[in-house]
Amino acid sequence: MSDLKLRVKEMIIERLKLEGMTPDQVDDAAPLFGEGLGLDSIDALELVLGIEQVFNVKIEDEAAGMKAFKSVQALTDFIAEHAKA
Amino acid sequence: MTGIPAQLPHRYPFLLVDRILEREPGVRVVAEKLVTSSESYLQGHFPDRPLVPGVLLLEMLAQAGGFLEAESLHGAAIFLAGVQDARFRAPAFPGDRLRLEVRAAGAFAGLLKLAGTVTCEDRELCTASLLVKRL
Repeated sequence: MSDLKLRVKEMIIERLKLEGMTPDQVDDAAPLFGEGLGLDSIDALELVLGIEQVFNVKIEDEAAGMKAFKSVQALTDFIAEHAKA
Repeated sequence: MTGIPAQLPHRYPFLLVDRILEREPGVRVVAEKLVTSSESYLQGHFPDRPLVPGVLLLEMLAQAGGFLEAESLHGAAIFLAGVQDARFRAPAFPGDRLRLEVRAAGAFAGLLKLAGTVTCEDRELCTASLLVKRL
């Protein structure tokens, strides 16, 4: 697992208080919302704030969120692409 | 600022904000609530020792939060979607002048996160994060 992906998973687990879950148990390809992790809109706001705080990357609107929250892999790619060097 | 009824749909006996003291739209609101001994809930909470229920302090913060985006809400309600990390450090009593301070802490897809603090004479009574949704 890449270092960034591991940090993304740790952030998700911490911000959403997915207690008892380890990064290994979070599927890279599963969607974050609906099926997969089954997150809701409140979780989405928490993730947006967590991503901003931890990675200094802003998810500006719902269109960006749709793209970023497709899966853990998509979110990791989104952060890598938008992170300021 | 006047015109609270025009900016908030809540009415007696559930309008829990008396005055807006400071306001930076979309950023921060400071409101005020005077707790009077005639408030109906104090009769039963508690007969010998009237104090404001903690959940009503949260409601006061949520109502104050309605003024953050007053221009775009046009008097519509915002609804509570969640409460996080609520702490009640000291009770509020009849006669207290409560200062309700609410700051915008983030927004995404119609949900707002608010950081709220209730103080009385510089004593912190309650802090909480509120998640509110505009419909």
